[in-house]
Amino acid sequence: MTIEVEWRDYDVIVVGSGGAGSAAADAAAAEGARVLVVSKDPIACSDTKISEGNATVRGTVSDADTEQVLSDNLRVSGADLPLPALTDAYAKDSRPAYDWYRAHGLRPKINQDRKGPFARPLAKGGHTVARSVGHKNAGVAFSHAAWDAVVEGAHIDYLEDAWFLDLAVEGAENGAPGRVAGGLVYHAASGTLVAVRAPAVVMASGGLNTLYFPKTDTMRGNTGDGYAAAARAGADLVDMEQVQFLPFCLTAPASYEGLLVGEPSTASFLGVLRDRHGKVILDGVYLRTRAECSAAIMRAVADGRGTDDGGAYLDLTANARLPRSGKGFMRYLETSMPSAYRTARQALSKPAVRCEESWEVRPAAHYTMGGIRVDATGASVGGADDGTAAAGLSGLFAAGQAMGGVFGANRLGSTALTENVVFGLRAGRGAADHARTHSRATGDDAFRSLIAAAVAQFGQSGDQAPAHLKLELQRAAWDCIGPARTADSLNRMDAVIDDLADRAGRAAVPDYALWNQAFIEWVELRSLLDVARAVTAAARERDASVGGHVRLDRPQVSILAQPYSTVVRGQAANDGVLRFHANRARRPRTPAMRLLAMRLKDAWRKVQAKVLCLLPPALLDPILDRRYRAILGPGDAAPAVSPGGPAAAVADAAE
Amino acid sequence: MKIDIVTTRNGVRETVAYDYRPRQEGERPMILDVLLQAQATALPDLAFRYGCRARNCGVCTVDVNGRPRIACRARVRAGDRIEPMATLPVLADLVVRRDGIARQLQGRTTPDHRDPDVNAEAPEAYHDLTACIECYACLDGCPMHARNFGDDAADAAAPDAATGYRWGNPFSLLKLQRLRLDPCVSEDGRQAALDAAIDLGLDACVGCKGCKCGVGIDLKGGVVGELLAAAGDRVPGDGASAS
Repeated sequence: MTIEVEWRDYDVIVVGSGGAGSAAADAAAAEGARVLVVSKDPIACSDTKISEGNATVRGTVSDADTEQVLSDNLRVSGADLPLPALTDAYAKDSRPAYDWYRAHGLRPKINQDRKGPFARPLAKGGHTVARSVGHKNAGVAFSHAAWDAVVEGAHIDYLEDAWFLDLAVEGAENGAPGRVAGGLVYHAASGTLVAVRAPAVVMASGGLNTLYFPKTDTMRGNTGDGYAAAARAGADLVDMEQVQFLPFCLTAPASYEGLLVGEPSTASFLGVLRDRHGKVILDGVYLRTRAECSAAIMRAVADGRGTDDGGAYLDLTANARLPRSGKGFMRYLETSMPSAYRTARQALSKPAVRCEESWEVRPAAHYTMGGIRVDATGASVGGADDGTAAAGLSGLFAAGQAMGGVFGANRLGSTALTENVVFGLRAGRGAADHARTHSRATGDDAFRSLIAAAVAQFGQSGDQAPAHLKLELQRAAWDCIGPARTADSLNRMDAVIDDLADRAGRAAVPDYALWNQAFIEWVELRSLLDVARAVTAAARERDASVGGHVRLDRPQVSILAQPYSTVVRGQAANDGVLRFHANRARRPRTPAMRLLAMRLKDAWRKVQAKVLCLLPPALLDPILDRRYRAILGPGDAAPAVSPGGPAAAVADAAE
Repeated sequence: MKIDIVTTRNGVRETVAYDYRPRQEGERPMILDVLLQAQATALPDLAFRYGCRARNCGVCTVDVNGRPRIACRARVRAGDRIEPMATLPVLADLVVRRDGIARQLQGRTTPDHRDPDVNAEAPEAYHDLTACIECYACLDGCPMHARNFGDDAADAAAPDAATGYRWGNPFSLLKLQRLRLDPCVSEDGRQAALDAAIDLGLDACVGCKGCKCGVGIDLKGGVVGELLAAAGDRVPGDGASAS
């Protein structure tokens, strides 16, 4: 044994320090709780930081944008998987959540007439109202607010470079989950294990998208640690098969693989997707959801019509070719997603950047819509249908990507930066309240086996490198539980996981304690294996295609079918491996007449879009020109976003 | 393509010659590509930080041939030497301890001084500073930060990353100047930010040739110059030299 154990006491542990974690920590501290933030990356360095910086704020454009309208938008686009209590909470709190960022320094452009921020002029796909507020410097501006919230008051303790290993749980019996007694943390920067006694833990630890690396545009830290720790401790996970793949990410050059270059909306009025033979596989792209576009690409690939790199061609040339409106389109492309376009500009050829050539694209994992199963206070729930906190893991809360149930089968653009604070604040308050009203752990027994297992891992001899097992898992996950799945691929995934779990038991880990990368890789591999099992179990239970879950061997689920969420609960078998049992939770269906009306409206928009494309260029050009002027507004909208160009940056690409 | 990677394991430092194999014809790889491939092949336990691969998160900065570079967006050339940032203590391989830089601001950024009316438009200069991704390339050559490790540290506590360094750096000054530009921060709050900058050692900026930002923010003019001008006589020396 070469690693020391340090004991600490807090009221609330917050795992993660992005939008959700910083809000949870701030809210819990404001309630008087003693808070410890545990973060693998530097404070506020998260998916929030690297996002496009668009936040959903209800009512920015119109007072007719009621709570009901926003809540309905979320549920319908999520294929009725979202829990109404969660989408209602989202709709109720979207403005206060946004104002929380502003209280910590986020400064949007202000519409003085409405005394609030401006929304981007076009409603993003699935939103029936424009309510997405954009920001200079995109997500980086949000990360400053999150950072300030943790650091500014000196009332929140935090550990960076700290891996949350496991929840300590006591009182679990007869298959029912127990209560949280704290958690065990590996603090790599000091080379210690930190055993933290606390009656409440908020998981704000992000998603699992690193399971698909390098086919992901998110932070490396998304190794599913929160889901895995929660599941190992007996908490339910919900809708784990629902991983959102953004359709338009790069296949090459290699340094840029998986990075985002556009959204359905940036395809604009004339953008289409083509297969390797040039045949159109999806038109009206700008009216489609992310899931529809990703599915179209992956179906073409499965049919052998994909590109050599397993993607398709995003053809924007018709937009750019028109003499007048082409300029408006290019301005729109540059300003609507500045950070994505910057990536395209660096990675693609000059003619492609000018949209004279198609872009080769492939989906990449972007957001985990499933997660820890919670109620509207962020508390872990168990039991049938909506579930109850009484049947959940007492003392466990979740927010942000770590929680499930609010987005269901599809997350609309710009909704995550609001969601993380809506539920971050709720989970933080809930955790502080829980800590006040629940007694502390009765002893340290809950920690003993966790500490022993972690300590035993240091100095393990073996013939396997955790980092290499991780790469094998990532390749298999893309093939088997990525954006296209079949019954056969799910079975293959099970076999791969079993093999890798077996070999992970033979992992070599040196015995030094200070920043032991092999130990870190092993810890993350263990999380990734657990969440891969959870995704596979949920994907098997969801025996049809819906939203982010595309089954190539099954039809799309009927919109009139009774919606349900998948719930998985882990149970450690005798071999120590976590197995998942899946079942279904009923969800209310949006009334059939309303669904049909929405479908008809959507179909009508698509017909209009098709007719528009058939117009001769002489008629089409002025129409689109007017549209771009309306979108861009006076002065052609946003100026360049970053103050310093690449040429001014000493650390940037040395060309 | 032969690249030198400096590794430190359990306190032992050595230089490993790694042979990068291009993945595509004509590939022009980044520093990060070399580190990822090294970890995937010969050096499975190689420790390095990275996050977004798109120059947005700021954590992958390493020194390349003695200068800080953001690894995911810096091209690599044969013969390059990759080392941990020289300005911070090494934890393992290319990983340095970063938290002492920001930690010194704990409790110094005064939320009490923010106006609850958030509907005020911020000046362009405010957004310019919000572009900081916290890559810490700006520590390179900073005499204020160097005080934490140099002779000047003799009169202060020993440098302690866990509690926050005694002396400041361009990042902490940027955070403080950003408060001074925030329309929702009160006059008291602005004054407190200036006081904190002076306390963190703003006088070290006098006569300094100026710091360089990893993403192109004008630190010399937009941060240090503004703070020195506001401090006036409170900072001894030639206050005009860095403005």
